[in-house]
Amino acid sequence: MTPTGSIAYVVDPRLPGGTSSAVAAELLALAEIAPVRVHALETRMFRGRAVAPQLAAALETLGLDLVWNAPTVSADLVVFHNPAVLKFQRDPGVRIVTRHLIVVTHENFLRPGAAEAFDVAGCLGQLDRATLSPLKSLAPVSPHNRQCILDWLDRNPGRDGWSVLGQDWFNICDHPRSVPSPAPADRRGRHSRPGAEKFPPLAVMDLCFPAHAQANVILGADSYVAAGLDRPHWSLYPFRGLDLDEYFAMVDFMVYFTAPGWRESFGRVMAEAIAAGKPVITDADTAAAFDGAALVASPEEVDAVIARLVGRPRLYRDHVIAAQARLDRHSSAAFREAFLRAAGPAIGVAP
Amino acid sequence: MILIDAGERSDHAFDAKLLMAMQLGERGHRVAIDATTRPADLDRSHRYQAAPFLADPADLAMSRVLVIGAEALSPETLQGLAGYRLGADVPVTLTGRFADRQAAIGARTKAAYVLGREPQVIDLADLQKSPLLPASPLPALACAHPATKRTRPEVFLCLPAESLEDPATLAAIGALDYLPEFGLTLVLAGKGRELLRMTRHAHLRAFGASELPPATLAAMADAAAFLGEDVGGERMAAFAADLMQAGGAVIDATAGAALAATGAPALRGPQDLAALGNFLVHTVLPNRHEIGRQTQASPWLKSHSIKRFEEALDLQAPSGRTAAASSQRVLFVPTNGVGLGHAQRCLQVAQEMADPAACAFAAFPSCLPMIEAQGLACLPLVSKSPSHHEEYANDLVNYLRLRRHAARGSTLVFDGGYVFDSIYRTILERALNGVWIRRGLWQPGQIHGAALEREKVFRQVIIPDEAFDELNADYTYGRHISHVGPILRRDADGPGEATEAGALTREDLAERFGLACRELLVTMLGAGVAADRTAQMQLLCSIAERRAGCLHLIVVWPGASVPPAVYGWKNSRVVRTRRTLALCRAADLAVSAAGYNAFHEILYHQVPAIFVPQTASFMDDQERRARAASGRGLAETVMAHELLQMEREVRAFLDDGKAARIREALATSALPQPGNAAAARLIERSMTDGR
Repeated sequence: MTPTGSIAYVVDPRLPGGTSSAVAAELLALAEIAPVRVHALETRMFRGRAVAPQLAAALETLGLDLVWNAPTVSADLVVFHNPAVLKFQRDPGVRIVTRHLIVVTHENFLRPGAAEAFDVAGCLGQLDRATLSPLKSLAPVSPHNRQCILDWLDRNPGRDGWSVLGQDWFNICDHPRSVPSPAPADRRGRHSRPGAEKFPPLAVMDLCFPAHAQANVILGADSYVAAGLDRPHWSLYPFRGLDLDEYFAMVDFMVYFTAPGWRESFGRVMAEAIAAGKPVITDADTAAAFDGAALVASPEEVDAVIARLVGRPRLYRDHVIAAQARLDRHSSAAFREAFLRAAGPAIGVAP
Repeated sequence: MILIDAGERSDHAFDAKLLMAMQLGERGHRVAIDATTRPADLDRSHRYQAAPFLADPADLAMSRVLVIGAEALSPETLQGLAGYRLGADVPVTLTGRFADRQAAIGARTKAAYVLGREPQVIDLADLQKSPLLPASPLPALACAHPATKRTRPEVFLCLPAESLEDPATLAAIGALDYLPEFGLTLVLAGKGRELLRMTRHAHLRAFGASELPPATLAAMADAAAFLGEDVGGERMAAFAADLMQAGGAVIDATAGAALAATGAPALRGPQDLAALGNFLVHTVLPNRHEIGRQTQASPWLKSHSIKRFEEALDLQAPSGRTAAASSQRVLFVPTNGVGLGHAQRCLQVAQEMADPAACAFAAFPSCLPMIEAQGLACLPLVSKSPSHHEEYANDLVNYLRLRRHAARGSTLVFDGGYVFDSIYRTILERALNGVWIRRGLWQPGQIHGAALEREKVFRQVIIPDEAFDELNADYTYGRHISHVGPILRRDADGPGEATEAGALTREDLAERFGLACRELLVTMLGAGVAADRTAQMQLLCSIAERRAGCLHLIVVWPGASVPPAVYGWKNSRVVRTRRTLALCRAADLAVSAAGYNAFHEILYHQVPAIFVPQTASFMDDQERRARAASGRGLAETVMAHELLQMEREVRAFLDDGKAARIREALATSALPQPGNAAAARLIERSMTDGR
């Protein structure tokens, strides 16, 4: 059924990393449903940066131009990506008039321990003041992200104008699939942006990447390189220091823990690893986004998990294939279905 | 141990850390700063101030980490926090003036990532609604300090350097300095002190704005007037707040009422220096006690006090600070050169003190045996060495030792020519009763303002006079200057001296050295530091060699270097001893340098002597001293290069009766009374008098 209503995306197109990749994939997926007008905000958060290359490529593919700094965005459905981009300002710089505003919460509202991750009230308040809409929804990107929203709303009553979508606005994971190695070895790796939040304490890193492993490849290790960290058994590469294909050829497992004070809201890097045919080992909260596709372990248990899979290549292969199958739940088609369920009424499509 | 860090790595942030460390240190907390965060080009003054706090975090048992200026957390600071590998029980507190809620959350979040746990965050805007410096990372300002008793109020004038470029400014300050109602001290920002030194007002008592801890300045002041466009930076703001806390009067004479406009308890004063004198004399000083009382009761001051900050941190101030402050001791610090002469003079004074047991010494290792032989404790100081990586490295260590050793309010007696930073700072920072024993007869090139500028920190200057009036001159003036007779070892009166002076006989020496001793020649030409006297020693050895029964003793201090060539003579022996006086008294002739101690001992103990003055530029004017004696027929003077004259004079003394004539002249000459006891009385008086 073809939507009759208009769709507008509002995004700061200079968003780095996974969020821009997610928005790019959404735009490509939605092209099959209806035209989307993409409004570009220039927030203070990304001052001086260029448009993310993956987003630029998607827009070029679709033949879309960004509409920069429109004073008003008016559409039947407006999707605002990542309210946290407003955290360094007091006004979004745009007025939004819509039947349904969906705000996709790419960043968790709360950090582990319930500390607020950014000034959520400030950012939502800006959107409240800037929007004329009968319906405003927060769209979590994963189960953990959803829980953070619910907990935050519990702790910050009086946000009655906001509802939470009943299903996740997940990242599309359409990465090409690779077959698992028939003879996996204890070759471990992790890749991420180099931010401090992405890395656990050094003691945890030492547990996850021990000297007895055949390989320990850490991509995005800029801070370790800068600090001159002495770990001869680690291969350290700066962010984008290796092509991802090259990196995945060097490892058979992805071991991914983050700073205890931070959690991935979705964990796109893990989806990349699963698609590349690598088992992902991580903590329970982070693994929740992938519904069993990632192996749950504590840092102390990593050695045993890897030893078990290295010793049983068939189990290794079965796990990867099952994980990739679960990743199919994050396909473009699945996203379109989810999109229409959430946004259909606003754009004239019955749910 | 509380480790203090700052959000940014910059000179400004380091100074803020240092101020914070000083404030908490004053409260008795044990605080440290990561030594690796010290800016490489830190100036000398800051190096001294930072030295007590710098440490390698790996060596510390940290009880807390305090990060000030956390509104701007640099990657270097975050990396540092991660590198400290803090235990889970070590609280980390971030303080800052956060622009908004997001800024506070951002700081907390960044720190949480590297720490692996949540830090405590204190927004200073919640504690201090109207700070003196809104952009300052420094959390607290007012640090309580015990008030110092003074007989005359001290007024500090805080000025920006550029104000001195107006000739009218210095003229007005010069006039203020003559008002008898108060003592005047300038606190000059930037290059102010250098500018002042180049003017005819260089004699004015002045400190640089960052030269001393603000609390030290506050302890010296009863009132302070701030002039210029604003407060003048964090140190001046801290000084103002410290003074308020101590009950002093703070006068806001800034153009924009920078202090008073914040609600701080500062009196609005005239911006015109010409009016300031009357304002001080007729308004402020007569009411200063009431002003102080009201200042201390100010709610603003309470919210800007270190105590309030401690409460926010849930930090208990350690007790026991006042106990240390009440102990009274006299610490003698003889330095300069190897320090033996200075130490010997101090020992003579210490022995005259009413309670010698309350006296202790801090001295170079060369002096330790001599001091300890008198039953006095001695803290070893570090001598200068070419092996040190910077010229004042030893003095930095000495500063730390003295600072640790000197109890607040006790007495430090310095004997030396140059007031090292270690002495200067310890006296000021520990609010010590500083006494300077400063012998005169400086060479003309040594008498200048810079050398005497630090006299301002001494409550009492004692000048041991020369034996002859024409050698006594005043380089500075004031009620704090006192002259006493020559300080010297006295015959048989001092401990140990009776045995020394009385026991040595020719027979003893003959037996000791295995040589006949019908004639005794004693040479004391120095340790070779000021000049090479090898030729003169060789000459005297050769003279002794030709005289049958002549024992020639080359007497040097223990540890002195002696040219190897002198060991080859049959009649000459090298003697390393402190018992120089006993040997001189036994001698038929002493050939000696004309240093203060040796010269006066030779005269007062009637020893026939030929003086060979040292003429190095850093020494006293020994030639004038020697010629004053020889001109009166009480000795002979031979310059170092006059070798033939030396030979003739030795013959005249030993063969032609000159030694006997001089001994007789010395016996009948009227020399001034020794000043040992008078110096001790002056020190004791300074301990009970206010400034």
